Amino acid sequence: MNVFQDILIFVVVAPGAVFAAFALLWLLGWTPSERLLSRATGLTFSASTAGVAALIWKITSASSITVAFGSWFAVGNYHFPLVLMVDRLSIPFLALAAVLSGLIGQFSATYLHRESGFLRFFLLLYLFAFGSLLAFAAGSFDLLAAGWEIVGITSVLLIGFFERRPAPVENGLYVFGIYRACDIGLLVGIFAMHHWAGTASFGSAFPNLIGRQTVIVCLLLLLAASGKAAQVPFSGWLPRAMEGPTPSSAIFYGAISIHAGAYLLLRAQPLLAQSVLASSLVVLIGAATAIHGTIVGRASADAKTSLAYATLTQVGVVFIEIGLGWRWLAVAHILGNATVRTMQYLRAPSMLHDYHQMHSAIGGELSPTGKQIEEMLPERIQLWLYRWALDRGHLDTMIERWVIAPLSQTSTYLSRRERTRAPSPTTIRPGRAVEVSTAGPAERSH
Amino acid sequence: MLPGWALHTSFLTSAAMSAPWLGVAVITAFRRQDRALGCIATLLSILASTALVWRAPNGESLYPTLMLLFSSLTLGAILLLPRRDAETGTIAGILVLMGSTLLAYSTGDLLVLLGAWILSIVPFLWAGWFRSRTWRPMVGLLSSSLAISLAVGFMVARTGVSSISHLKGQSPGGLVAFSLLIVAAVFRKGIIPAQAWVADAAESGPLVPTALFLNGHFGALLVVKLIVPLFPETDHLFPVLSYLAIATAIFVAIRALAENSPRRLLAFLALSQSACILSGLESRTAEGITGALVHWVVVTVSTVGLFGILRLLEVRFGENLSASRHLGLAEHAPRLAVSFAILGLALVGLPGTLGFCSQDLLIHGTLTTHPLTGLLLPIATAMNAVSFFRLFTRLFLGKRRTGFTVMADALPRERWVLAGIVLFVVFGGLFPNATVIEHSSEVDVVDQTIRTIDNLNRDKGYSSTNIQRPNPNATPIAVREVDAAEQRPMGVHR
Repeated sequence: MNVFQDILIFVVVAPGAVFAAFALLWLLGWTPSERLLSRATGLTFSASTAGVAALIWKITSASSITVAFGSWFAVGNYHFPLVLMVDRLSIPFLALAAVLSGLIGQFSATYLHRESGFLRFFLLLYLFAFGSLLAFAAGSFDLLAAGWEIVGITSVLLIGFFERRPAPVENGLYVFGIYRACDIGLLVGIFAMHHWAGTASFGSAFPNLIGRQTVIVCLLLLLAASGKAAQVPFSGWLPRAMEGPTPSSAIFYGAISIHAGAYLLLRAQPLLAQSVLASSLVVLIGAATAIHGTIVGRASADAKTSLAYATLTQVGVVFIEIGLGWRWLAVAHILGNATVRTMQYLRAPSMLHDYHQMHSAIGGELSPTGKQIEEMLPERIQLWLYRWALDRGHLDTMIERWVIAPLSQTSTYLSRRERTRAPSPTTIRPGRAVEVSTAGPAERSH
Repeated sequence: MLPGWALHTSFLTSAAMSAPWLGVAVITAFRRQDRALGCIATLLSILASTALVWRAPNGESLYPTLMLLFSSLTLGAILLLPRRDAETGTIAGILVLMGSTLLAYSTGDLLVLLGAWILSIVPFLWAGWFRSRTWRPMVGLLSSSLAISLAVGFMVARTGVSSISHLKGQSPGGLVAFSLLIVAAVFRKGIIPAQAWVADAAESGPLVPTALFLNGHFGALLVVKLIVPLFPETDHLFPVLSYLAIATAIFVAIRALAENSPRRLLAFLALSQSACILSGLESRTAEGITGALVHWVVVTVSTVGLFGILRLLEVRFGENLSASRHLGLAEHAPRLAVSFAILGLALVGLPGTLGFCSQDLLIHGTLTTHPLTGLLLPIATAMNAVSFFRLFTRLFLGKRRTGFTVMADALPRERWVLAGIVLFVVFGGLFPNATVIEHSSEVDVVDQTIRTIDNLNRDKGYSSTNIQRPNPNATPIAVREVDAAEQRPMGVHR
């Protein structure tokens, strides 16, 4: 194993190891100080960034760096390959994740100073960095799925960061539901690759699928990618995710998590190239999302939601580029979009201050930017579009009406059927029940 | 040094099984220091089971491992019991449950298995112990006991033999005995249409003993120990059980979506996830069977931890907890919240936990055998994940409630037990090879049976199995390591 392989292992494992150490010590009763946490963050991500820089230097002369640990677990002919791999596709994403995690960590040390969830935020940031680095450095779809799931759960937990308000918590639950539903595509897609091709690895052992198999796998991966990248019809979760703290919105929905879907499709590009149907669908979904994002974004009233839809529009365009096979244009587009949006998100809380500064610098208010494109439409259509944009394209309403409501009604119906045949739990509960808000001291009964 | 007889398998098995019964006798006689005596009894069982696992030949460590797992969990459950619940009756009942479960795991005799089956339900029928206040659990348990009694009676009467190894592959009692065993498994496991009693038992019975009872997984044990090895001629009927299990997983997952009682909701999640065990066992692939066995461990460990935490919350914050609104308990009990989240996410397959590996293997195994119905498994798991996350957010997040003291979080005694359980699912997930490969060697048990079935079927002109041989190089089992971690000296008791 050469030094660059060691560096690759370090880059991926370091945030996970720091997370595990702090989490375990906290679980056993110790709470680290803010200063220790921010210093550890700076040190970890500086080292990771230096490691990524070394990997970039190496990648200029080698096509890829691979570290094979064998199998995570193996049963019969099936094995879960534990292979890390960086190539020219994954290295920009790896760099983005390492650099932005460090920057967000430093920004948050001040931004969340004395916030009650300071430790929680940093633990989740470490876990997120580990998940995203694992996903981008994975040598197979199997390992990518593991990192993908970790990114998903940290994303959801950070949406509900301000847990005292019900809205962030409920929105986190909604996002979790969308993620889990779409991740079925990834799990079944990986199974299909193993089943038909005997492998789900990247590189030379890329799954060799034919005909209908390719279409099915591509469609399953597209489902997963669309969910993670908030593409139509799953776009409704993105504005809900803005409930989280601004630094996490910046790194998740401005940079890394929102582009993970595009990365999955870039990885699956050899398969997509074989299927006109799947490629066309990618273009179609990307175009629909870009149009949806730009229209809805124009009717958004707050800064973070406007930025979310601006990001979404660009991710839609990235999907179009991937569908058309313009791989490197898509990568460049992602890098530009991610860095600009991260900066914009981090400046969003200071937006008014920035405007005041600009106004005082120019000695008055900024003049209007000019004519908006929608003003060219007839007034009736403008009004309809405005209503449509205010309800965010009715996407949430459709999911609510056609998926959530039927499931909920079925569940309620089953519950009623069950209850009618059994005594109510309130009549059978032991007499010492205590109302939550008036419960006595814990140690009395303990 | 220990004498040779002390390490003999029969002595170790007897020691593991008799320790809890001895504990019951001492506790009921002295009626003091119940928790300490219970811990000593379970520790003796753990030591004997550990030695059994250590001495078991390759491919024969399944039941000793299950014995070790169940006795370790019983120790954890006794330590987690709030002081309010740690009465003589409860501890004695738990030990009866443990004694009968270990007996069922270790026996190779039909009549002893029947006795263990009946003994395990005795505490749940007796009003002074764990009897539920609703009728369904009693009907479910009595029906399952009646079915297995008739099946065993029929088999023994027809063959005159009660040794399981002698009856292997002979279809004793034919289709009648097979059907009765299926009925017994369906009722005991809570498979559709007998699923409702499980939630009723969790809601209106004592929580921690019920969790232990459900996690004995006698239904799955019946499939592994009797139905698969004894009835090769009814091979074509096995998929029915798998379809029923998958139907249960999806039905109960839908049912859980609108449930607001935390006890019922957790029971539904446990039931839905444990139904996957049966479908994995029936999948007849190495991945499916191994996934089922690992999932058995994951479901058992996670749900006992989750039920234990829920009971601790009830004791601290009142027994009428509801998932219909946010209770904000995380601010009072952050460590309980984090343990709850990790165990719940492990149950639904979070990466980095053992649940991810078991789900991965189960999905591969089940989809290979049943491409269409198998698709329902990841869908059910996704719905369970949403239900669990809803429960977590409602219980622990939201506006902080007032009126509690600051001593609401996990006490040192509870903290060490929860840390042990969490470490087990996390380290099991990070280093699953040890656990999975060890269980792969256990696939041999089922594999050999299915080979027998195949040979018989080939004689009749058809073959259906697609089982793949596991890696025979077994490595030291992770269960042992983590259970050893759970046995570390406990923190200071209040």
